[in-house]
Amino acid sequence: MSIQTPAPAPITATGTQPRNHDGQAIAITVFSTIKLWGRVFLPVLFFVTRRIPKLTGTLRQLSFIHFARWTVIGKLPYNGPPQKKGRFRYPHMYFESNFNGGWEEYIDAFSHILTDGMTAFWGSSYGFPKPLPTAPFKRYIQDNETEADHYYCAYPEATSTMIQRSLELDKKLVALKRDARRMDPDAFAAAYRRFLTDAQNAL
Amino acid sequence: MASPNVSGQAYAFMAMTPVMPGEEQPLAEYLRGLRARGPSPLARLARTHLARFVIVPDFKNDPTWKQRHEEHLDLNYLIFTSNLDGDLDSYLDELCEKLAPEAKEIWGRCVGCPESAEGAALKTYLRHNQIDTGIFFAAYGEATVATVRKALREREKMIAFAIRAQGMAPAALHEAFLAEFIGAQ
Amino acid sequence: MASVQIDLGDIQGDILRAYGNDYDNTTYAFVKIECPPEQARAWFHGVVDHVTTAETWPPGEKPLTTLNVAVTAPGLRALGVSEDVVGSFSREFRAGMSSRSELLGDVGPSDPNSWEPGLGTGDAHVLLTINAKQAADHQRALGKMKEAMDAVGGLRIVYQEDTELLPGAREHFGYSDGFAQPAIEGASDDKARGGGVPLKDGKWRALAAGEFILGYPDEDTRVDPKKRLPNAPAAPLGRSGTYMVWRKLYQDIALWRRVMRDAAKLYEGGDEHLLSAKVVGRWTNGAPLVKYPDEEPRGYDPKTAEDVNDFRYDGDVDGMRCPLGAHIRRSNPRDALAAVAGPKGVIGFDGHLSFRHRMIRRGMPYGRVLPEGVTEDDGVDRGLVFVSFQGSISRQFEGVQVQWLNAGNIFGLGHDKDFLLGDPHGTGKMTIQGKPPFFLAPQEVFVRTRGGEYLFVPGMTALAALADGTAG
Repeated sequence: MSIQTPAPAPITATGTQPRNHDGQAIAITVFSTIKLWGRVFLPVLFFVTRRIPKLTGTLRQLSFIHFARWTVIGKLPYNGPPQKKGRFRYPHMYFESNFNGGWEEYIDAFSHILTDGMTAFWGSSYGFPKPLPTAPFKRYIQDNETEADHYYCAYPEATSTMIQRSLELDKKLVALKRDARRMDPDAFAAAYRRFLTDAQNAL
Repeated sequence: MASPNVSGQAYAFMAMTPVMPGEEQPLAEYLRGLRARGPSPLARLARTHLARFVIVPDFKNDPTWKQRHEEHLDLNYLIFTSNLDGDLDSYLDELCEKLAPEAKEIWGRCVGCPESAEGAALKTYLRHNQIDTGIFFAAYGEATVATVRKALREREKMIAFAIRAQGMAPAALHEAFLAEFIGAQ
Repeated sequence: MASVQIDLGDIQGDILRAYGNDYDNTTYAFVKIECPPEQARAWFHGVVDHVTTAETWPPGEKPLTTLNVAVTAPGLRALGVSEDVVGSFSREFRAGMSSRSELLGDVGPSDPNSWEPGLGTGDAHVLLTINAKQAADHQRALGKMKEAMDAVGGLRIVYQEDTELLPGAREHFGYSDGFAQPAIEGASDDKARGGGVPLKDGKWRALAAGEFILGYPDEDTRVDPKKRLPNAPAAPLGRSGTYMVWRKLYQDIALWRRVMRDAAKLYEGGDEHLLSAKVVGRWTNGAPLVKYPDEEPRGYDPKTAEDVNDFRYDGDVDGMRCPLGAHIRRSNPRDALAAVAGPKGVIGFDGHLSFRHRMIRRGMPYGRVLPEGVTEDDGVDRGLVFVSFQGSISRQFEGVQVQWLNAGNIFGLGHDKDFLLGDPHGTGKMTIQGKPPFFLAPQEVFVRTRGGEYLFVPGMTALAALADGTAG
């Protein structure tokens, strides 16, 4: 038996509007208006977070995000009229995430597991309720979310977890392939068993 | 200091451009219609992991009015973000060439976009409107799109092989593995 | 936090606490209302008078029969409930189960177009559930039910399922079933170990009642200083009620036996019993694999054994004891989600990723048992009537169905579907972790959906209001 064509993947991208997903990937796009103290605090938070990778360790372990970003916008580049020139009165935060699983499960995980992180990143935004309870927090995100007009994922059938496991598997498989030819069948069978044992949770 | 737009080899690009008054609806319809017309044009940019176009009509003001002043966007803005491989400069070159048919319909509807909406002029325009990222999180920032694609294919292949090879004697297993993964030589 | 007082007299029975295995016979009758609302309410009034509540019975005084009532969204309308009030119910309830088929994986042989007549079409309005201790009581109760309908007229049973407990309280695959019920604050606090939320340091806590009964704080609002309550339908319907999922699931036992027999030829010297247990996560007697990984414990009584439900997966992060994709691990992962083994022990999230997705399950097997050893189908319709109660169908039932059973991603299993309930359109295999692992393939369709409805089980006050036409 072999897998000729990839079967239609299960539906996991639930709980969001249709243009916010491409296959398993969900887009979330959120703007929030930042209180003046956030203008000082957020750059410091970003600076520290960039330098201490451990802070994003939980995000990594949860493993449902492909890419995410937070950006503070104080002014926009000027392109001539009719665009108005100048700084915003308040800084604004742009947040985007590209993730798998349901929208609701995603926000729940953020609220319950990254409670402090959510407060750090959004605590300086106007109208932000605490991450818990989740119902008002979800309403806040929904109110501030904009549906994508077009969203693209290069591997719509795969998830972030699958990608990460595939990359691990690939490293192990490369080693097995490298050694396979010069092994005799018994040595190979033993190496193959070790490989499967080692790589089973990537398969 | 490392660029805040970079994580591993992955790059977070964002351009936010003002939409010309009157063009908001046609632009939205064009972008929303891309799916119906076939594969996403972004698929032509082989270094793109995930990307999006979002038209933002305005800021949301705090409904509880702890915010002293209302703040509104002067125009609708088009946001284009891409999570891409490697260096931005060559990516934008590729974009300005390969997305030329669409770029006119997209950025051509934005304030200040050069008439031709392609090539070096478009690149200059996108660069001018680039916004630097604060924090960029990439789960697999070391891997390129090509690497990811290959790894996903190899995994599919390996799963099928592992099922098929179950119970094979060493000689048959060895032979089958070489045939499947190394190829006849 | 002060313990919540639950108004048992206002809640229908068999939700918070099971009636128990004293009741051998259960009938599910779906009634269509073909008469004007006033006429239907006259009948409904009579029904409501006989509904069994959650109040506890004095010892030895279990009634011979019980009656419970649930309604679908079309049923609410047929009883004359206004569109405004119907609109206050959840979106998925209003849409109905058959409209969610693609999401739920009810495709191919499980497609609603091939469901039993009367189910999934909008014709099922009111579900009457009758439990009886003995066949004679059962017949008498059914007779009374029909009499009452005939007396009013314009009421028709569009689908009826008569079920009976199987010998040894097993389900058709042969497994003792139904131990992993949620422990509920104010109702079953004593079952917190295993049934509640796994906390740090091996502790557990019962779940907030609002996860299952509307009008009470749930796991989200239980610590809300503003004391907000979870979303619920407009008063008085929003208090003491719950959402119910009803599904008729056909089980192809002969196919299951053949697949296990054939696959086991390459597994652990042909150990079919172990292989099947690995798929389920329990031995046939109910003993969990994570506690008894090597062999089925003799004399194990799931009704008295504490560890039938009091366990976690923190000692088995790699799935060597109970596979990561075992059915009971997928449908109730406890502390297993996203947990990894670190140098200083397991780093996990306790129950934080699973505690909002629990359900009360009250299923019943239907159809005759396929005799042991038979591996060819005998054409008998058999399987399980799956019943679950929850505060939110989308978060709880659908969340589990979609994210945990139909997709493997959250367990790090890629597109592997639940091997017991799924179909071959995922990866088409299950990994049995081991040294080396075993790959169970090909995946077949053992379970087919034969029909189902999303329902609402009103509280007693709400039932009275529905019968009086004062529910709004």
